[in-house]
Amino acid sequence: MKENSPLNRDGLPPFVKTWKQMYILLTGTLFLLIALFYLFMNHFQ
Amino acid sequence: MSSLDWIVLSLTLIFVVSYGIYRSRETHTMDSFLLAGKSLPWYHVTLSLMATQASAITFLSAPGQAYTDGMRFVQFYFGLPLAMVVLCITFVPKFGQLKIFTAYEFLESRFDLRTRGLTSFLFLLQRGLSTGLSIYAPSLILSAILGWDITWTNIISGGVVMLYTIAGGSRAVSHTHLQQMAIITIGMVVAGIMVVKFLPSDVSFTDALHVAGKMGKINLIDFTFDLNSRYNVWSGLIGGFFLQLSYFGTDQSQVGRFLTGSSQGQSKLGLAMNGLLKIPMQFLILLVGVLVFAFYQFTNPPLFFNKTAVDKVRKTQYAAQYEALEKKHELIQKDKHPHIMALTEALRKEDQNAIQESRVVLAGFETKVKEVRKEAEILLSEANGGDTNDVNYIFLRFVIDYLPAGMVGLLIAVILLASMGSVAAAYNSLASCTIVDIYKRMIRKDDDSKDYVAASRWATFFWGIFCIAIAQYASRLGSMIEAVNILGSLFYGVILGIFLVAFYFKNIGSRAVFYGSILGEIFVVISYIFNLTAFLWLNLIGCLLVIIFAWIIEYAWPQSASRKPSL
Repeated sequence: MKENSPLNRDGLPPFVKTWKQMYILLTGTLFLLIALFYLFMNHFQ
Repeated sequence: MSSLDWIVLSLTLIFVVSYGIYRSRETHTMDSFLLAGKSLPWYHVTLSLMATQASAITFLSAPGQAYTDGMRFVQFYFGLPLAMVVLCITFVPKFGQLKIFTAYEFLESRFDLRTRGLTSFLFLLQRGLSTGLSIYAPSLILSAILGWDITWTNIISGGVVMLYTIAGGSRAVSHTHLQQMAIITIGMVVAGIMVVKFLPSDVSFTDALHVAGKMGKINLIDFTFDLNSRYNVWSGLIGGFFLQLSYFGTDQSQVGRFLTGSSQGQSKLGLAMNGLLKIPMQFLILLVGVLVFAFYQFTNPPLFFNKTAVDKVRKTQYAAQYEALEKKHELIQKDKHPHIMALTEALRKEDQNAIQESRVVLAGFETKVKEVRKEAEILLSEANGGDTNDVNYIFLRFVIDYLPAGMVGLLIAVILLASMGSVAAAYNSLASCTIVDIYKRMIRKDDDSKDYVAASRWATFFWGIFCIAIAQYASRLGSMIEAVNILGSLFYGVILGIFLVAFYFKNIGSRAVFYGSILGEIFVVISYIFNLTAFLWLNLIGCLLVIIFAWIIEYAWPQSASRKPSL
């Protein structure tokens, strides 16, 4: 099934245009959180 | 609890249960009973996924875990966003194409009925057992507060959920999840604010975090690669990825949630948003536990948080010995207090030498506290028999001892509702598998849809009784949140392996995957019994073993019968 077929596009959030961007956003957020947790830990520990 | 607490608790529970029963009026077909008519928007799917995963265990056990072990547990969830990506790309389109009720239906179309039956059986066993633990969590609260017998508390708390799950099925479950998540969020925020409010007036929020941090509780990240370390970045990213992929992709209690999406796009979006929100939510819950720890550095904590166990020991011949230990504990806390204040002062002045000095002294006091608590545990074990687990009572005891009238009732309701959310989804999924994978497929193939709905209601009733029976044994398992995850890790890897073979190894047939999964499960159980590795790695091991064994068997003993075309 093509990424931007009507079935797949249905429900896309307004802040991304393709599902690929959504997956990059998810992965990027994970690594950003790990970095932030590391800084948080270093600051208080 | 005060009268106001009882009113708040009763009204909240009555409202949610009544609402669940009210939604059941639209449930007349199998599609609506098991999948809510596939009509829900993405935010419904997200909240339902989160409410199913975040049970009372999350709310009770995680703060206690942070209090005793620090925040390192958050790393357990690092594989979740990555798992959501794989689910969106692979699982949702495959399940969507086949228009299935349960994940295991897919396995019959790819392999055979035997593989579907085996996987469904593994799921029923694992989910039935872990739902027993989810019922036990709120029962623990009620028995601690009301002094009720835990047997009756299990029956009542597991039974209330049965009311609306039997009546309304998946639709009632999803709609009540929405309200449950809203109340849980309010409860979390209120609890966090209250802990900070109860700190001494000259101790700020950041002071509290600094104190907890210097005492090793903000241990969020550990990059050490150690197979025997329970929580580190690698076990979370790799082991956690396989656990979450298996949990959300092959556990019907979660598959049944995202199949309720009105389209594939809505289901995918629901999963993706779950991937974005879950780690911050877990971080906040653990942070509440760390704040409770900081609070008890400035206020004398009880020697043992489980009040019911302490009340019991006071009525035995060990009462005097326990009282002596309490006095010893109180003296240690009293001696420790000036050093905590000295640490706070040193932190404000940024005096590194004084901070280091205080850390060393406080570590010595912590060792003394642990020794006294160990003595108390031995005494409690001798007096009350067996159960000395205290982790799950820490947050609960704080709520009861310090929160004002009305708030205690609200937080107890929050914990009960959280539990109801995950237990309801579990009952619904257990009924789905029993009816769709066993009853409808193997026993009565051509009944009317209404008959299957009636059978689904009976299956929900049966599993409710089974899970309540399991709840009676849950107190022997230590920290409940770990017990649930360990139990999941024993089965999830193997189940995931079967699905990955189905998706990605098109040359492997049904016989190879069937025997490969049995061998894989035996190896996983042996690894756990002989403690060969930390439990999160069992997910990866189980998954890889199924793939390897299935591949070897297929190569050595090729299946002569022609295979079904791959999907």
